[in-house]
Amino acid sequence: MAPVSQTVRVKVLFFGRLKELVGRAEDSIEIADAATVEQLFALYVARNSELGKYRSSLVASRNQEFAAWGTPLHSGDEVAFLPPVSGG
Amino acid sequence: MTTPLHDDIYQLVRGPIDIAALARHVRAPEDGATVTFDGFVRNQSHNRPTLYLDYEAYESMALAKMREIGAQLHEKYRIHRVAMVHRLGRLEIGETSVFIAVSAPHRAAAFDACRFAIDTLKRTVPIWKKEYFEDGAVWADGELPPAPAATSRAKPAS
Repeated sequence: MAPVSQTVRVKVLFFGRLKELVGRAEDSIEIADAATVEQLFALYVARNSELGKYRSSLVASRNQEFAAWGTPLHSGDEVAFLPPVSGG
Repeated sequence: MTTPLHDDIYQLVRGPIDIAALARHVRAPEDGATVTFDGFVRNQSHNRPTLYLDYEAYESMALAKMREIGAQLHEKYRIHRVAMVHRLGRLEIGETSVFIAVSAPHRAAAFDACRFAIDTLKRTVPIWKKEYFEDGAVWADGELPPAPAATSRAKPAS
């Protein structure tokens, strides 16, 4: 079994109003291996509580595929938080 | 899975979209119809005059999703070729933001496929537009793409 203290680095992308709120488009962050998308988002909400308001109106992706909030993350994953899309 | 490309075009561009060239590209001698969708910038939004729009995308994912839509079109409809191009950056009133062309031997499939393509693009492709007005700017109301509800396990090789 892997030690619980093992951490991995993931890339995080923000778009649209989330990017403006976070103040950056891209971040690299260390999290516990197999931490979920939900737990990753919570780290950013802890830094900026305003973000929490958007939790119910955004979707997440992992490695360019839409991902459930319970998806576990691993080293090198690319996670993005996506507001409602408005292309076209 | 990815579908053979059928000479399709899927692009994100930062300059004007050459709609005539795309419509020409999808035509072939064995076809009988091309249906095109030309989405362009409207001069108002909810009765407020728009100055211009600014589009941004999660480019790698947006292109992947556009190709997925194309694969669905070929699976669902008897069509020949697809061209699907979305423009990013600042767009002025009247400029084309998205263009889709679908050719087919017969018109019904081309109409249905083109409609499905733009509807699905608007719901699932990670692109966002910011609307600029005299007195400020807002991110347009959008649609929340359907996300998987449960934790996705590693997919078994198929």
